[in-house]
Amino acid sequence: MNIDGLRFEPYKLPASLAPLRAEVREFLASEIKNFTPVHRSNSWDAFDPEFSRKLGARGWLGMMLPKVYGGNERGPLERYVIVEELLAAGAPSGFHWIGDRQSGPLLARYGTEEQKKTILPQITAGEVCFCIGMSEPNAGSDLASLRTRAERTDAGWLVNGQKIWTSHAHRAHYMIALFRTSPPDKDRHAGLSQFLIKLPSEGITCRPIKDLTGRAQFNEVFFEDALLPHDALVGVEGAGWKQVVEELTFERSGPERYLSCFLLLTQLIDAVKDSASPETLRKIGEQIALVTALRNMSLSVAGMLNEGRDPSLQASIVKDVGCTFEQGLPALAQELVDLEPSLASYGNDFQQVLGNLMQLAPSFSLRGGTPEILRGIIARGLGLR
Amino acid sequence: MSELQNILEESVARVLDDSIDNQFLTSVEENGWPTELWNTLCELGLPQILASEESGGMGGSWADAYVVVRRCGYASLPLPIPEAIIATWIAKQAAIELPEGVPGLIPQPLTSDLIRGDSLTAEIARIPWGRDANYYLGITDASELVILGRDGIALVAEDNLGRDPRDTVSFGNARLLNRTATDLPPDAVQWLCAMLRSAQIAGASARCLEIGIEFVGNREQFGRPLSRFQAIQHHLAVMVGAIATVDSMSANAFRAMDHYGINGGPGERDAKFEIAAAKCRASDSVETVTRIGHQVHGAIGFTYEYGLHFLTRRLWAWRAEFGGSGKWAQYLGEVAKAQGGDNIWAYITN
Repeated sequence: MNIDGLRFEPYKLPASLAPLRAEVREFLASEIKNFTPVHRSNSWDAFDPEFSRKLGARGWLGMMLPKVYGGNERGPLERYVIVEELLAAGAPSGFHWIGDRQSGPLLARYGTEEQKKTILPQITAGEVCFCIGMSEPNAGSDLASLRTRAERTDAGWLVNGQKIWTSHAHRAHYMIALFRTSPPDKDRHAGLSQFLIKLPSEGITCRPIKDLTGRAQFNEVFFEDALLPHDALVGVEGAGWKQVVEELTFERSGPERYLSCFLLLTQLIDAVKDSASPETLRKIGEQIALVTALRNMSLSVAGMLNEGRDPSLQASIVKDVGCTFEQGLPALAQELVDLEPSLASYGNDFQQVLGNLMQLAPSFSLRGGTPEILRGIIARGLGLR
Repeated sequence: MSELQNILEESVARVLDDSIDNQFLTSVEENGWPTELWNTLCELGLPQILASEESGGMGGSWADAYVVVRRCGYASLPLPIPEAIIATWIAKQAAIELPEGVPGLIPQPLTSDLIRGDSLTAEIARIPWGRDANYYLGITDASELVILGRDGIALVAEDNLGRDPRDTVSFGNARLLNRTATDLPPDAVQWLCAMLRSAQIAGASARCLEIGIEFVGNREQFGRPLSRFQAIQHHLAVMVGAIATVDSMSANAFRAMDHYGINGGPGERDAKFEIAAAKCRASDSVETVTRIGHQVHGAIGFTYEYGLHFLTRRLWAWRAEFGGSGKWAQYLGEVAKAQGGDNIWAYITN
């Protein structure tokens, strides 16, 4: 068994991207300087339409999209630099996140001319929020078992069923949803199709679900005889699974896979700075080594994408290792600094960031593929299944 | 990897894989220095990979050297080819000729006080292949490169956990064969060898994984191959993740040597951060790799005959050599402290 296919080639970003990075840093230094650390620790979940519009005005959203649809036709590496800077700084990215990362590229590839002309410019301007309707009450990690049906009628697609855990659905402008368009046969992945849905819409009800932090970010979404126009179908009828898998490669490879807790690491460094014992410095140093390794691995995946190679196995490895890192940080921070994790009304910045991320951490291994699923993908890559 | 590096890796792999098996490794443990293999590897020009083409070397980069050193780890090579690469480079930096034969690297900075006139009196522990070395190379705390011969030495043979020689050499008024100022830091040997070990750990870990994958595909229990059990699959997937971090970081450290070197002055960029991060990560990963590597094998992996131990014992030795995770993590922690939370991201991405 040769495992060379698993290697992460070192990739160095071209020096020509340095001015862009500097520009983003300068922008962030002025735009988010008044945001509290605990607010910034929500980063890619924090919902801030005004901030997203500013990014759009800079040309930093949907930047890989064709110019005729408002994009910049920039490369994946430029987007990579912008995203990692936004995340490391804790810039509020929830409003534009899904549209910029996956729905824009999906529509550019599979959308109708009309959809591209109307929607893509809104994505690049930071004016629309997308959500993704995938999971259902009985289809979580086993996504292919989903049951919500879209039936072709003369009037359009008639949808009945239910989605769940749909982030931002209650405040999104569009949903990209995966529905069953023909009954399952031997190939469980056949008969699924993707749809573009304008929200709010008749026959579609969103009910926010309060999460353990007390906030409501995700939703139950009910479809009761919801009628979608014929051209709501995205891409090829029955090819939804393949299209979704393509999308997930983007979802699993980016810097968001290890930066969710980066703000806690910076807070931890400052919290122990003046009194750090060698033992404490060692524990922080180990995290610095790990986060640097994850960045290099993530860059390597970006390099592979840039060269048109398929990094889906490497992307799964980055997400799995990244998740272990992110989820371990709150406990480590708690071990090294003997202060209570707190809610935003009490305590110092470190305590508030710790309190927020400690509560959010369980979700890191649920979104975008659980470790159980990812390790199965890695095992398949090793030829074990 | 570049096309050239692929060819380099293939040719090194062919020689090493043809020569080294369990029987060979056992015989080296019993009988010592394998002259024939050493000569073959020297004929391939491996110790000279970083030497310029004018001086008979390959004119290679550190990134090329990485490919060779990683492969030495992969093969459990019981010879100081990686150390010889470092010796050649250090000599090149100081523009001196090395004596013929096998180098013995003095791992720590030499205290200048131990040099009287043109002679050294000192007892140096843990010199890799000290018993087989034709000469010894060290750097003093005053950044002088010194070369010593074997005249007047006394030797106590010791091995590391991998059964590779790590000898104590006593120099009694031994004459310096060469003494030249160098702009390398006094602890350059430690930095560079820590980097070597990170690459060797990457290689040996990859081989552990390969052997494990092969084993679980063949071994059946409860009527099916072990590879069909999800618990086994997840064990190996976790091992893959640990190895990925090491592979990525060790390769990165060698690249950083190409870009920045190791002797940056105060505030100047050099490869020290990347080397420290690579060895810290490599040492930290050894626990995961050896634990899972052994676990998926069951009892057979614990036997001498099966030979997994040729890799795992070396991994345990290399984990600590030239500084373990703690030492390098502390260096990184000091960097983090000096930079502060606000600047650490800029530092990492620089």
